[in-house]
Amino acid sequence: MEPLDDRELDKLLQQWQAPLAPPSLRAKVLPHRSHWWQWLATGTIRVPVPVGIAAVLALAAFLYFFRTTERPTAAQPAKSVSLADFQPVKQLEPRVVGRANEGN
Amino acid sequence: MTEAEFRSAFEQNKDVVYRFAWRMCGSAAVAEDIAQEVFLTLLRQPGRFDSARGALRSFLLAVARNLVLKRWRDDSRLDELEDQFATPPIDLEGRETADAVSAAVASLPPLQREVLILAQYEELSLEEIARTVDAEVGTVKSRLHRARENLRQVLAPLKSRNVGRSISHGTFGRS
Repeated sequence: MEPLDDRELDKLLQQWQAPLAPPSLRAKVLPHRSHWWQWLATGTIRVPVPVGIAAVLALAAFLYFFRTTERPTAAQPAKSVSLADFQPVKQLEPRVVGRANEGN
Repeated sequence: MTEAEFRSAFEQNKDVVYRFAWRMCGSAAVAEDIAQEVFLTLLRQPGRFDSARGALRSFLLAVARNLVLKRWRDDSRLDELEDQFATPPIDLEGRETADAVSAAVASLPPLQREVLILAQYEELSLEEIARTVDAEVGTVKSRLHRARENLRQVLAPLKSRNVGRSISHGTFGRS
């Protein structure tokens, strides 16, 4: 049987088409992108140990000095007064108190 | 490599890498696994790619090629890597032209198959193919020539669309 020439071979080979990469490949390879606000709920911050210790000591010192230099609390403001509790005097009994040596 | 650079590399080369693996292995699942491994290699070890030694496409195809060979070794098909072996008969009866071509290419020795796929379908230059398969340009030329000669014989029945017969061939020559 007569073999193919170059042009015929190329024409035949081009009929074998390969599929494109499936979409599932992207999901397997590319890292999932999350919204910035999701970081507020799930994000983490890496802090070097010396920095963390220094931050804790600074916070403790701040709290200590804040409490020891705490100002005395101001006088409590007077409670509001309601006139509903006041009752008129039912029987007035005036009494005159004079000096002991009056009239002498 | 930044995330943006990696995404760009993936978008530009995912189809090339997948197609190459698919044609070499003949399996969509295996091709996807290999393509995934190729890009994860780039992500984890970006320093392995040296732009001074060639294009990123060649590097990724070389990684894919090594993964394909590794799978063959793991499957104890290492002997098939040799360029000289008795090819099984190719039954073209009832096959569409594309299937017949696929079977013919799959029947080539792997070292011929890979250079044919890279040259014919991915249109790499001989220098790029040589870098990808880690061989001399002259060796690549020889393998490509032998691959095409073998295909000329194997696919000859398709010349007149006379595909209704089974063809058996002897041995392919060493490249």
